[in-house]
Amino acid sequence: MTDLQTEPREAELHSVRAHLRERSAATRARRQLTSKVMVVLCWIAILCAAVPLLMLLFELIDKGWPYVSSWAFYSQLPQQPSITQPNNVGGASNAILGTVAVVAYAVVMAVPVGVVVGVFLAESDSKAANVIRVITQTMVGAPSILMGLFAFYIIVKQLNLGYSALAGAFALAVLMLPVLATATEIAVRGVPPTYREAGLALGAKPSTTSLRIVLPAAVSGIVTGSILAISRAVGETAPVLLVIGGAYSMNWRPTDPVSMIPVQIYQDASSAYPAQQNQVWGLALLLVAVVFVLSLFARIWAGRKQKERR
Amino acid sequence: MEPEILHTSGGLLFEEVSLEGGEGGRTERPSSSPRGPYEYVLMGVSVLFAIICIGFVVTIILEAVPAFKQQGSYLFTGTTWQQGGGSTPSQYGGLSMIVGTFQVAVVAMVAAVVIGMGTALSIVFFLPLRLRNLVATLVELLAAVPSVVYGIFGYLVLAPWVLTTLGPFLSGLPGGTAIFGSVQTGTSMLLASVVVAVMVLPTFVAIAREVLSAVPHELSEASLSLGATQWQTLSRTVIPTARIGLFGAAALALGRAIGETVAVALVAGQVNQISWKSLEPGTTLASWIANNFGEATGDQVNALFALGVILMAISLATSLFSRWLVARQRRAAAVV
Repeated sequence: MTDLQTEPREAELHSVRAHLRERSAATRARRQLTSKVMVVLCWIAILCAAVPLLMLLFELIDKGWPYVSSWAFYSQLPQQPSITQPNNVGGASNAILGTVAVVAYAVVMAVPVGVVVGVFLAESDSKAANVIRVITQTMVGAPSILMGLFAFYIIVKQLNLGYSALAGAFALAVLMLPVLATATEIAVRGVPPTYREAGLALGAKPSTTSLRIVLPAAVSGIVTGSILAISRAVGETAPVLLVIGGAYSMNWRPTDPVSMIPVQIYQDASSAYPAQQNQVWGLALLLVAVVFVLSLFARIWAGRKQKERR
Repeated sequence: MEPEILHTSGGLLFEEVSLEGGEGGRTERPSSSPRGPYEYVLMGVSVLFAIICIGFVVTIILEAVPAFKQQGSYLFTGTTWQQGGGSTPSQYGGLSMIVGTFQVAVVAMVAAVVIGMGTALSIVFFLPLRLRNLVATLVELLAAVPSVVYGIFGYLVLAPWVLTTLGPFLSGLPGGTAIFGSVQTGTSMLLASVVVAVMVLPTFVAIAREVLSAVPHELSEASLSLGATQWQTLSRTVIPTARIGLFGAAALALGRAIGETVAVALVAGQVNQISWKSLEPGTTLASWIANNFGEATGDQVNALFALGVILMAISLATSLFSRWLVARQRRAAAVV
């Protein structure tokens, strides 16, 4: 071929290249601009999230600390403020005792059943296990107020025990059961299959293998799951609100109507007396502190056990 | 495991979220093993548990049947809530609560997912390494804060602010009263959505962070080395890889928003009306039950149980729908 033919072609290519270079520079600039804008938007998002949440923590500590740090808050019964004595609000000893009692009853009811169901789910491949697994997963997402309605019907109405600590504990137990079952199932499944195989190979019965080898290995996961379930139950308001009745004295027996911290917060928040309204920050700080300590404890426990295993 | 399990157990279970949601180590067991007392105890207790769960659904429905018989379709279409006396019949309409539930849940979920995605991406990819763990722990702790605390924060701090500052500002915008209405007490559907969004935000961020940081570094490095910008890497490589987990987190946020009771009861205003203008008060199913159950007598108790049945149906339908979507996504991922 002659030079005459290639020369215009090269010129043409040259101009195409220049055009492409220009365009790619333009797209690159646009891409980088988009990227920068989106990154800035992400930073704005984290600000939007942080502002209300940090404000909440600040308000909680700022307004709640005076109550939480005073002994009277724990030792005194609440008082009904009046027009002549608007600041006479007393403490929250009854709500604290009631919360401990109801949660304790709920734990006694829920933990054994939840753990056994979790072990069953982890060990059985039967159809029944699959059905129960689906039920468990569905129950976890059920709105918590429905547990209150359930407890009202069973305990308050059918068993005729009235508004009581037991009814509140029943509602919380139903709430905790699927959580416990799921946490246990995960913990048991997390045990390496070789453990079980080793036990079976040594001639142990399947039940002995489960009880002596697999469960002890899974116990830290089960404990962590239980603590987290408890920390959730402590703060639940809706289910217990409908059934515990409320009390202005130190009630704790299963058949007594009791008062609980979350319910007290909910009810006093709309009080007409500013002093009583302000006291809910103390209750809220106490509640949040308990929940934080429980979940931090669960976290540290889980982390430590994980390290041990390695 | 299903993502639904995550919120309830807080931080620990987040570890179980893998990108593909693996089933965990299931071992083959000899099928001919004899059934001893141990197996029967396991089976028996589990059946008891199943009976409790079925009883839970059945009793609520049974208690609601009289109301469904009495009110018929008025429960779904009516807007009056009044106990009858003497010759006037009771009227229990649940339309405002049903509409309000969707309003609050959808607005809160969209806000929480949009802000939560940005937050989670920032935590995983932009925050300095030293801050990352601290912020992640803080977020997981905030996810454990009881909802009633978010409720009083909304009621005692945000509501006065809406009343004096935000409300008048929004109404003052051109066309503001037509869109937002005029502020009445501060407690409003807008505030309810905001409080629920703030409440579900830590839960969403905690899971999204976990899911996003599980995306292999090789993928984003490969994308960056091909000349993609940071945002292109995130939006076309990281987020699509993590989409199943992110979707589960969003479904969880929606579920919590639908069932939220006390926080909404405090800040929504509890007025039985459909309020399309967001500065005006309204109500939701769960909060209406909580608010009225204490004083309810006679047929009103049944009517509140009926609202409970409607709430149960809505929550079940959304959870089944999101599970179906996740399963479909997972199948699609398996094909690729």
